[in-house]
Amino acid sequence: MSRRFAVLAALAVVCAGVELVAGRGMSPGVVWGVLGGGGDATERHILWQLRLPRLLVALGAGACLAVAGLVLQSALRNPLAGPEVTGVTPGAVLGAVTATALGFAGWDSPLAVVLAACLGGCAGAALLWLLAGRGGGDPAQTAVHGVLVSAVLGGLTAMVLLVEPGELGSVVQWLVGTTEGRVWQHWHLLWPWALAWGAVAWLLAGPLTLLRCGDDIALAAGLSARRARTLALLCAVALTAGAVAAVGALGFVGLLVPHLAVSVFGADLRASLPGAALLGAVVVCGADAAAQLSSRLLAQTLDSGRLTLPVGALTACLGAALLLVVVRRTPSRTF
Amino acid sequence: MCALSLGTPNVPPHRLAGAVLEGDTTFAGIVVTELRVPRLVLALIAGACLGAAGLVLQEALRNPLAVPEMLGVSSGAALGVAAPLVLTLSLPAAVQPVLALGGAALGGGLTLLAAGLGRSPSAVLLTGAAVAAALQAALLVLMVMADQLDLQLIYRYLLGSLSARTWDDVSGLWPWLLVAAPALVLCAPVLSVMRLGDEDAAALGVRAQRARLAALAIAVVLIAPVTAVCGPVAWVGFLAPHLARWFDPAAGAVRWLPWSAAWGAVVVTVADVPARLALAPVETPAGAWTALLGVPAGIALMRSGRRGRTTGRGSAASGATRVPHGPGALTSGAAEEASRTAPSRSARRDESGAEVAGDASSPPVRATGTEDVR
Repeated sequence: MSRRFAVLAALAVVCAGVELVAGRGMSPGVVWGVLGGGGDATERHILWQLRLPRLLVALGAGACLAVAGLVLQSALRNPLAGPEVTGVTPGAVLGAVTATALGFAGWDSPLAVVLAACLGGCAGAALLWLLAGRGGGDPAQTAVHGVLVSAVLGGLTAMVLLVEPGELGSVVQWLVGTTEGRVWQHWHLLWPWALAWGAVAWLLAGPLTLLRCGDDIALAAGLSARRARTLALLCAVALTAGAVAAVGALGFVGLLVPHLAVSVFGADLRASLPGAALLGAVVVCGADAAAQLSSRLLAQTLDSGRLTLPVGALTACLGAALLLVVVRRTPSRTF
Repeated sequence: MCALSLGTPNVPPHRLAGAVLEGDTTFAGIVVTELRVPRLVLALIAGACLGAAGLVLQEALRNPLAVPEMLGVSSGAALGVAAPLVLTLSLPAAVQPVLALGGAALGGGLTLLAAGLGRSPSAVLLTGAAVAAALQAALLVLMVMADQLDLQLIYRYLLGSLSARTWDDVSGLWPWLLVAAPALVLCAPVLSVMRLGDEDAAALGVRAQRARLAALAIAVVLIAPVTAVCGPVAWVGFLAPHLARWFDPAAGAVRWLPWSAAWGAVVVTVADVPARLALAPVETPAGAWTALLGVPAGIALMRSGRRGRTTGRGSAASGATRVPHGPGALTSGAAEEASRTAPSRSARRDESGAEVAGDASSPPVRATGTEDVR
């Protein structure tokens, strides 16, 4: 087990390294020089003020999403539940877009956008709660309602965007999920939140493992299933809101990384929760590095400097393929 | 009527006939005949197609949530249409439906492939949501590549909008409808058999898997051309069938099909009015309105309509019942609501619910009732 963690940590370091050198305009040698304290002012600025926070935000958001996904899937006992289907992600997008459209927040002030996204995410979750919470917390129902809530919120977002067409261009990237232009402020907002809720998730690991076995077994072991599920949902929502506020609606990470984590670390959440966090960080960071590299390649082949692939595009494409595998593998009675 | 007379310029209802007759001479006449009438016709056709397609999918998969949006069909079709737009390939208008068709088939096929055909509603739904999300992501990537000017156009289209549609757009739809309508009529009886569950359907000589694929194909043929013209107007395929069921819970699929189409037409037409007027002079897409209002309404209908209504097999093993655990399954919350609804209505439901779900014109369905199969 510890060896697996070590391998993952090494992977994370490698991904981080690639991420640091993947951007445009600086050769790996220069990056190394800057890390050693050399380089000119511009290079230093790029590395310390742009790339490093970007890297950290990618790592943090990935970890958040993966943990949220694992918590959700355990609580709802549904291998297909993910942050995307809780109404949190579209809610957060709606919050951010609305705040921008109403002029409360510009994209130049991360704090306001992050706050608005968090509020929106919580509102989306509350809406889900109102719909599904009264249904006795039946897992399948909760998932279904989540999808429908997401649809409504998506419609609202569309409305706002059409009333304020000027925002569209800047928002589109964010709708896919991107780590472009993240600065220290984003990181300072993200890490305390992630740490606090990560700790909560860690504390919930035991009860969640029981919940995975089914409500009857959990009850027999003396666990109040509904209460545990409520807490778990709250935790997942908070983590998702934080991550979405930081990087936008990054798809599929929260849905698929948990499957990976469980297959690597086993079903005991006390091991697989931190494992999922590491894996999520690695995945998002690696995807971001890959997105940057492929953006450069594309820009060279198409001869246009404008094109940047958002990281969300990559995770979505990979995710869809992986999803097919996951769904085919799970026996149908688990739904 | 509202669709024809409201807007700028306002044409009062009593002058409509005159305006249409004088056709091309007055300003109001031109507006009505060249802009509003085709728009109305298009709304009716699109709504009918989407409503019918929604019902076909829902019945074939025995899943009240199997709607075009949830199966990735709509997103796929939109992708097929938007891609050439962004990549600035100029294509003849006739090719667009074909592209949409390919995209829709891709999306729907992907979901069904992933979810398996006989899985439970929530599995299909979640898989579909994921597939749709992937396709949406692809769309968004395209949008990132697009020009600012194109962006708004595409975005509006993606939500389903009837703005600035003329007779040309309407005339492009006829050939597709000619293909789809007979197919619909043919598949309706099969659909009512499908509701009994796979084993019973097989006993009656219906190959369930094939029937599902055929239903998907029909739905794709219905949805794709509409999408090509006015974008995937969201959630009509969800709302219309539920409306049809709610008003006539005792009928079978055969009866619901025309009603579903009619309701779809009504829904889109009604949604188009606020779409034009709510935030004038900015036009909002009709799809946004249908999504906003359609989903809650649909959920409400689903909850009220399911109560006490089971299929012939009652509480048999999952897979044979229509919905093992969709929303509206009798959980405590639903039971509370049940006690609050008007007693007369729920009583009527219960009587009808006791019937085997299949239309009255197919006696063999009755014969393979509940006990002998189990």
